[in-house]
Amino acid sequence: MLTETEIEGTTATTMHNGAAPVRARTPSDDAYPQTTMRVRKRNGSAEPVNVNKIVRAVGRSCVGLPEVDALRVATKTISGLYDGATTRELDQLSIQTAAGLIFEEPQYARLAARLLATYIDKEVRGQEIHAFSQSVLTAQKLGLANERLTTFVSNNARKLNDAITVERDRELEYFGLRTVYDRYLLRHPKNRLVIETPQQFFLRIACALSENIAEALELYRLFSTLEYLPSSPTMFNAGTRHEQLSSCFLLDSPEDHLAGIYQKYADAAMLSKFSGGIGLAYHRVRSRGSLIESTNGHSNGIVPWLKTLDASVAAVNQGGKRKGACCVYLEPWHADIEDFLAMRENTGDEASRTHNLNLANWIPDLFMQRVEADADWSLFDPKVVPTFPDLYGDDFAHAYAEAEQAGVAVKTVKARELYARMMRSLAQTGNGWMTFKDKSNRACNQTALPGRTVHLSNLCTEIIEVTSGSETAVCNLGSINLGRHLVRSAEGGLSFDFEKLARTVRTAVRQLDQVIDLNYYPIPSTEASNLRWRPVGLGVMGLQDVFFQLRLPFDAPAARALSQQIAEEIYFHALTASADLAVEKGRHPSFEETRAARGELQFDAWGVTPVDTARWEALRARVRLVGLRNSLLVAIAPTATIASIAGCYECIEPQVSNLFKRETLSGDFLQVNRYLVAELKPLGLWTENTRARLKMAEGSIQALPELPEELRTIYRTVWEVPMRSLIDMAADRGAFIDQSQSLNLFAESPNIGQLSSMYFHAWKQGLKTTYYLRSRPATRIAKATVEAPTAASADASAVACSLENPESCEACQ
Amino acid sequence: MSGRPARLLDPGLCLTLRPMAYPSFFEMYRAAIKNTWTVEEVDFSTDVSDLQTKMTDAERHLVHRLVAFFATGDSIVANNLVLNLYRHINAPEARMYLSRQLYEEALHVQFYLTLLDTYVADPEERHRAFAAVENIPSIQKKADFCLRWLETTAELNRLETRPQRQQFLLNLICFAGCVEGLFFFGAFAYVYFLRSRGLLHGLAGGTNWVFRDESAHMAFAFEVAKTIRSEEADLFDADMRRAVREMFDEAVACETQFAQDLLGQGVVGLSIGEVRQYLEFCADQRLATLGLPKQYGARNPLAFMDLQDVQEVANFFERRVSAYQVGVVGEVTLDAAF
Repeated sequence: MLTETEIEGTTATTMHNGAAPVRARTPSDDAYPQTTMRVRKRNGSAEPVNVNKIVRAVGRSCVGLPEVDALRVATKTISGLYDGATTRELDQLSIQTAAGLIFEEPQYARLAARLLATYIDKEVRGQEIHAFSQSVLTAQKLGLANERLTTFVSNNARKLNDAITVERDRELEYFGLRTVYDRYLLRHPKNRLVIETPQQFFLRIACALSENIAEALELYRLFSTLEYLPSSPTMFNAGTRHEQLSSCFLLDSPEDHLAGIYQKYADAAMLSKFSGGIGLAYHRVRSRGSLIESTNGHSNGIVPWLKTLDASVAAVNQGGKRKGACCVYLEPWHADIEDFLAMRENTGDEASRTHNLNLANWIPDLFMQRVEADADWSLFDPKVVPTFPDLYGDDFAHAYAEAEQAGVAVKTVKARELYARMMRSLAQTGNGWMTFKDKSNRACNQTALPGRTVHLSNLCTEIIEVTSGSETAVCNLGSINLGRHLVRSAEGGLSFDFEKLARTVRTAVRQLDQVIDLNYYPIPSTEASNLRWRPVGLGVMGLQDVFFQLRLPFDAPAARALSQQIAEEIYFHALTASADLAVEKGRHPSFEETRAARGELQFDAWGVTPVDTARWEALRARVRLVGLRNSLLVAIAPTATIASIAGCYECIEPQVSNLFKRETLSGDFLQVNRYLVAELKPLGLWTENTRARLKMAEGSIQALPELPEELRTIYRTVWEVPMRSLIDMAADRGAFIDQSQSLNLFAESPNIGQLSSMYFHAWKQGLKTTYYLRSRPATRIAKATVEAPTAASADASAVACSLENPESCEACQ
Repeated sequence: MSGRPARLLDPGLCLTLRPMAYPSFFEMYRAAIKNTWTVEEVDFSTDVSDLQTKMTDAERHLVHRLVAFFATGDSIVANNLVLNLYRHINAPEARMYLSRQLYEEALHVQFYLTLLDTYVADPEERHRAFAAVENIPSIQKKADFCLRWLETTAELNRLETRPQRQQFLLNLICFAGCVEGLFFFGAFAYVYFLRSRGLLHGLAGGTNWVFRDESAHMAFAFEVAKTIRSEEADLFDADMRRAVREMFDEAVACETQFAQDLLGQGVVGLSIGEVRQYLEFCADQRLATLGLPKQYGARNPLAFMDLQDVQEVANFFERRVSAYQVGVVGEVTLDAAF
């Protein structure tokens, strides 16, 4: 339970001495009695609320925030109190109050973060935890920390305690800190209080992932400055008793029998339990109508099995941190493909609907070629064509043609009809992701030998690794915050800091490699695979932040060139670091079976020649000589949660809006583009009026003509950036990404023609995978808090041309 | 029966869709179809544990009352639609929209029914909640307000006279402006208040969709009111304006006493005064939309409602994205612009 010191928090300590009580503010309300507010302290005694002292307490967190009004936060806090509320509630309310003002003035995000940091600090200190080593000791006593961590910390306690840099709390924005507090800090198993501060948390993760003190301190620096963050599972579990640190698991399709199908449910549940996201192929399971010899009945196809998987996935609660999640992959020759594509629809038979599963199409080139030629496409029962899932490229095309000629297809459709069905599914559900089997296999370092096949990607379509019945692919992820890799020259110009990037990449690769050995493997097939291939996935976030800081429009040629150069540098230094690790610790056991061993690197599979050929040739030679410690190195994950911790835009994506809310398990948070606000303020344009119109326009500034043209180009939203440029940039980058990237595409109100062209272009450009199709609702919610539009503007829209009403249409006359 | 009536409220059962007299109603119908959702998509999985472990008695009281109101409120709106709106708005394209709205009201009832069944485990308490109109005074009072307007208008068989048309118009404004625009908007505010504190995502998820539907219903009704006004401007005389103002006053008072019931046990972060100010703000918005002067001059005091106006960026690990469209058209081409 709480101690009195803890309860008093940021404000209660100032509430003695009986200053004048404040009446609750109930504006425009005379009908209700105004009561004298009192707060209840931990010991049960009641104290009158003292606004002045609350103002002073808030004021202490306002240093350096000139735009923030402490009085306003305090009075608004008190107006939300009820008589007899606890001091703890008062503290929480003052944080929420400050957070509620972020839209008006982004500095309130900093205030809310500081108030929250103080609140967390009190919560931890209230349990007599004052130093890092005490925090880890407490975790150990409570059975939360593993022995390796506690030994490491007790051997280095003094150095580590000294390393804690409290000021780094200020690097975190409110959303980031809130997320860390709600979901990442270790909690007492019974009273649920956090037993570590954010800095102690970062240092704990750093220690858990390091072999020596120097490494630990360097990792702590990267984490706490938010320059690089490991994935959520790593941050959830590092240093704990079940150190499952990997993000992604790729399960091969169950074999075509009951025992195999049920074994996969168990595997998926075990992997899900410890925070992993699941990709699961289903290519091998027979389709509807297929004969079952043992019972002389007919199969109901894959949908009922997936319905069971759906329920299983929803039932797994990842330590209360998030729900299980799974993406099922199916190749479009499977005879159940049409039922599969309907599984996420919100109408129709519920027995065939799987609301929790994500769906992806694993598409051979042959299908896209048939679409291009407007030819037929045959659907097969896997029981009849059992070799298909393991073939790609020409081998697949031959086998497919033979099967067609043999007349064993279940059904033949027009390729374009099925393609249109896929597009409709994307538009209606965002699901049914388009991922490309042949490019994924041809450009995979692990498929050098015959018989090695990539059968699917993962939950977020950025991992490309081989699987088999005995090998479940695993990947550990981490992402570099590109927005924190810029440097200002002596002359004041800002540019991207490639040297800093190189240093970060090297540290990150070493950390990710370390995870492979530390990891707790929930099922045996993961360990077998991971120790042989040692793949890691180093990604990025905050590309949009880089462009905003450099004032580059997202699709400007300079932005495109920079984006490609960043990818090239990351791949170069990741390979270099992995070669160094190979020298130091040994190459991965299957290195000789990789394309790299033959001197083939990722860009070779794309037919791309890098800029600085000489250094690449030197590296290529060195790799052939010393080998690599990791078969795969680069993968760009969506970074949804860690980008919110780092306070940057997600992975390689343009901003969705200049103003949006984040819905998370810890409530909704408003985010306003702070770069835009910083540009508008000096121009005197960050006004109530601008804010209302920004809200009305769903966060777009295109309809604000008073803004300079340049700003309107830089601060476009993803709905306003051409998708072609996103796809082309992804292809440029792809030549240096040995796994893949979580590439969302966006279409305001999609139609089949537009989508079919878009995904066709993505395939032509050689992308391995795409991710969600994001669209917007057909009708919008009325703006609850924006003033009603004036009569004039409402009338103007009524004049618009309507073919439904030729008689009264004025616009065409 | 044949041919189009001169005015929207002229009695009859017009069947003429071409040429179409009111294409905007048809467009609204089409847009509504695109936003189809089902109760099965709503994920209630964390709500019950929130209710049991994260919320105070005072907050649970708020939730139970709120859901009880929703379950009955949508039924009342549906009844009015059938008994009054569908009868007198004489354009087939408008009746198409109303048919769609009727389905949506039923869907909302189903959603809140499912919620009540999920949230209220005790059968006795559940029965009481479903009988909210009879035994919960704060809900009864709102229901009385609605039913008075519903029943007086239902007595009209044909809108022949000016007073009859005004009576109908008041009914229309009452259900769009006061019931949907205030009672429901008030209720949504509590849901979003709870969500702003990370509570009851299932309730908030479904309510998002209900909110979207209700916004569209309101927009339709106001479009009808605007059409009537352009056809029969003289209906909006001083008496009519006064009646509208009084009606909003009464609705704000009704909803405020509901707030007293909901918040009376002490809920941190939301005071009765703030709710009242929010209601006044909403009422002003409705009046402005109707082209009438604002009555209260209130600003929105609820910062979390700002959030409601802003686009969501859902994290798929946590929620289902609620923004997808039904009804996608076109054919495969490989060279369209994108």
